[in-house]
Amino acid sequence: MSFSVEPGELFGLLGPNGAGKTTSIKILTTLLLPTSGSVRVLGFDPVRQPNEVRSRVGYVFGGDRGLYDRLSALDNLRYFADVYRVPARQKGKRIAELLELVGLTGRERDRVETYSRGMRQRLHIARGLLHDPPVIFLDEPTIGLDPVGARELRETVAALRDSGKTILLTTHYMFEADELCGRVAVINKGRIVAEGTPKSLKAGVHDRTVIEVVAFNVSEAALESVRSLDGVDSLAVEAEDQMQVLSVQSARGAALIQPLLATLSDAQVTSVTAREPTLEDAYVQLVSEP
Amino acid sequence: MIRAFVSGLRVDLLQLIRSPFDMVGMLVWPLVFASIAFLLLGHETGERTLFTAALGAAVMIMWGWVILGAGFALDTQREQGTLELVVGAPTPLVVLISPVMIARAVFGVYGLVLTLLWGRLVFGIPFLIDDWAAFFFAAVGCILAIGTLGLIAASTFVLYRAAFYFGISLQYPVYIACGLILPFSVLPGWLRPVSWLLAPTWGFRALREAASAQAPWPDIGVCFGLSAVYILIAIPCLAFFEHLARDRATLKLA
Repeated sequence: MSFSVEPGELFGLLGPNGAGKTTSIKILTTLLLPTSGSVRVLGFDPVRQPNEVRSRVGYVFGGDRGLYDRLSALDNLRYFADVYRVPARQKGKRIAELLELVGLTGRERDRVETYSRGMRQRLHIARGLLHDPPVIFLDEPTIGLDPVGARELRETVAALRDSGKTILLTTHYMFEADELCGRVAVINKGRIVAEGTPKSLKAGVHDRTVIEVVAFNVSEAALESVRSLDGVDSLAVEAEDQMQVLSVQSARGAALIQPLLATLSDAQVTSVTAREPTLEDAYVQLVSEP
Repeated sequence: MIRAFVSGLRVDLLQLIRSPFDMVGMLVWPLVFASIAFLLLGHETGERTLFTAALGAAVMIMWGWVILGAGFALDTQREQGTLELVVGAPTPLVVLISPVMIARAVFGVYGLVLTLLWGRLVFGIPFLIDDWAAFFFAAVGCILAIGTLGLIAASTFVLYRAAFYFGISLQYPVYIACGLILPFSVLPGWLRPVSWLLAPTWGFRALREAASAQAPWPDIGVCFGLSAVYILIAIPCLAFFEHLARDRATLKLA
């Protein structure tokens, strides 16, 4: 796969689990060596010039990991400031600024093991920005966060984008990519299957309609029957306990509601709605293609 | 780089003392080692021999803490995701890993003091240190040499996901090769040259000679010299194993 990110751009890498998003980021941040091909970060080769790259990039990943739990946030930031060569004179000021930026001022002396997931994630962001890198890699930074925490984090990312940082973001949340990214690339099985602005990707499905069916106890056989219905381009299923939400993509104007209801006659259908396609629908369409 | 080293030392010591599990082990281990040594030798053995056994036990503790503690520390770093961040930092890896070794070896001084105190209070063995200045330098040289030898082993810990178990496999062979468990007279002759390459041999000799004021300075000098050689070996080793870890994707646990 091949892509480039312009200075000051927030570029999104989207794709299912195992598509190669994190591997790409790890190659770009010097943590993995590529088996073939070439990469450049700010003109430097992460394979041959790792130190040049390391001093210019920040890497933030999602989840609980990446911090010294028994230490306070302040001790964590002090340590990483020294490791990432923040000048001694600037260290205190920089840490105070970042704690303010991520909303942890006042809690900086608490041990990280007492932090919520959202607080940890914000501390991660602060850690990744300590050396004021021009390029930032964010690998699923909102994974596992509650809606409020995720929204606050997206606001922080947007502020970074507006301050001129170049950001490469991976995420599973399409609305997040739609809200934040100037351009996105969709990866599937190690290949880029689409690249462009979120708007242009959505335009790829503008001639389609999405029928959303909320139902209970839909069997696998019924799902297979839906997939094989004439006019159905793709089917995405989200399950929550006994309830399933079926998103059926079809060409605009296809008369699918009656055949769908007939196919799902053994299930309990509670609602059927037709709507305009979103970036998520465009994504599902792209990664569903053989 | 000095700031990163000192900061790393502080972080590692803080992590260590804030873990009740580690601290209990640190308290109990020296007492067990010293007690075994004293009880094996028995009270009829001369005080000088018992004191020397205490020094040997202390050196064993130092090596044990360095090799097991460092393996455990790197496993923990890998598990909590900080190893990737440390490797991905612009500071050379040797500067970031060596504080882990040195912090463990410094705790060896505490092990030494605890061993000698235990011998004094429970087994009535007096402090038989004839040259305190030489003993101090011998202790510093011993810590440095053992810590830097651990650094060479740690370069492999960066690669392997089961660093702690690898550390265990290195613990007793070094005890044996350095004559800390069995006297050289009962060991095969080819082990003697091996022991000359290993820091605990010279650390123990330096402490023993300093305690009895029998020309300890050459042994102390060897400790410092070996430390320099170990560092020179550890730097390319760390670079090599870091490269392998990046190639084989083992910096992360899973």
